[in-house]
Amino acid sequence: MFQNRAEAYALALPAAIFAAIVFLIPVGLLLSEGFRSAQGWTLSAFVDFFSQPLNQKVFLRTLKLGVMVTAAAAVIGYATAYAIVSLPPGAKGRMIGLVVLPLMISPVARTYAWIVILGRTGIVNQALMLVGLTDEPVRFLFTETAVFIGLLQLFLPLMIISLISALENLPKDAVPAARILGANWFQVFWKIILPLTREGLIVGGTLVFTGSLTAYITPAILGGSKVLMLETLLYQQVTVANNFVAASVIAFLLIVMSFSANILLRRIATARNRK
Amino acid sequence: MMQKILAPLTLALVMLFLIGPFAIIVAASFSAGDTLAFPPQGFSLKWIAKVFTVESFRQSFAMSLFLAIGGTIAALILGIPASYAMARYRLPGAETVRFMVSLPIIVPGIIVGLALLRYFVIPIGLSITLALFLAHTALILPYAVRVVSASLANLRSDMEEAAVLLGASRLGAFFSVVLPNIRGGILSAFILGFVTSFNQVPVSLFLSGPGVRTLPIDMLGYMEIVFDPSVAALSSLLAFLSIGIVFLAERFLGFSRYV
Repeated sequence: MFQNRAEAYALALPAAIFAAIVFLIPVGLLLSEGFRSAQGWTLSAFVDFFSQPLNQKVFLRTLKLGVMVTAAAAVIGYATAYAIVSLPPGAKGRMIGLVVLPLMISPVARTYAWIVILGRTGIVNQALMLVGLTDEPVRFLFTETAVFIGLLQLFLPLMIISLISALENLPKDAVPAARILGANWFQVFWKIILPLTREGLIVGGTLVFTGSLTAYITPAILGGSKVLMLETLLYQQVTVANNFVAASVIAFLLIVMSFSANILLRRIATARNRK
Repeated sequence: MMQKILAPLTLALVMLFLIGPFAIIVAASFSAGDTLAFPPQGFSLKWIAKVFTVESFRQSFAMSLFLAIGGTIAALILGIPASYAMARYRLPGAETVRFMVSLPIIVPGIIVGLALLRYFVIPIGLSITLALFLAHTALILPYAVRVVSASLANLRSDMEEAAVLLGASRLGAFFSVVLPNIRGGILSAFILGFVTSFNQVPVSLFLSGPGVRTLPIDMLGYMEIVFDPSVAALSSLLAFLSIGIVFLAERFLGFSRYV
């Protein structure tokens, strides 16, 4: 440990000052716009924002999709992570590689693929018409279902990876022991796997939930203006309505949700370090 | 018994869901047809070739490359000394500094872009290129600090203390002892920063102007107007570029140790 305080500040302050000027001050100013009016500080922008049915709908839809994507990712994530952890080491490594691979690919490319799959002449519609389930193409694009599928595909890897590391710390004999003692799979999951991997589930869940809430590309491409979420609404408020006050309200909502999730994650991390 | 069938089936379905769309994009980019479709109509390289002839793609690719390389270098120039100070000095307020530089990860990028547009670009007349550069640097800074801090934590501090005791200046010890020992971490930070910046969309959404936009933003705009496979071709090229870089990094640097 070096003691020279002046040196330490000279090294650390440029980064901190940069973050303050480029980031902290402009973002703080933007957020404050939602609370200011000609008369002084006020919450009226928030009241106005939530008094409009469209905004209410978008806010609730964003929360709903966040919860649904997180729940689906948790169910699929547990099944996948359990199957991967049970594999022999070599195959396990390759599977983890395949799970991580999509994270390296641009989200624009990953979302764009769904247009080919779900579009009017896409594979799903071709298959449905081939087996005669429908005579006309079914509309999938620009529906909540399409956004749900896109978000799930985007964020599922984060859940699987969090659950893999949690499941690897599960004592090896716990599940077979419970099975021998007569527990069924449902009991094994609720009484053994879930309590012992809770941390991994919360970490993965937080990543998926905040990722879905603050996603822009997926709702923009697969939802369009029919299925707005908070970020696409923010973009519209600025570019179409030129309404910076509403944009600032949405920014505040997004930051509050993102921060709460982050604090939760940090709590869990410090609780784990103490053990 | 059930598990013998269920586990591989689950894995196969999930992998199909995760990797399948990417495979389809790759297949569609070799199509000979004029619209985006799967299965592709015939085989040709014309869409792959077309990507290189679209002027706006060339411009925005150069812009994205400049931001990813320049932004990462700037983030490292700011981040390495800060990480070093937090790792090796008794620094009151170290937690505040760490919190401040890691903020850009927590705050959604779209808000950062909008804030810069509203308070720097519009009133002060800051150029959009410079605003993009600052925003991407801020975005990469948390990754740079995290990765460099991790590799500093793995490096014993008595080495540079010994170098100083033996007469090296503090700065000389840093450049001759510390820097060579954390170069793997710095390279990993560089790659992580590059990929993060290159694939980044939300932060750049509001920061675009005539002839000034990043590649992913350009692709978003292009696919709204044109429905041919060229965006698919470009997407596959970029994906293979990212995967290639990360694969080489993992192979030669053990990249995942730092990330």
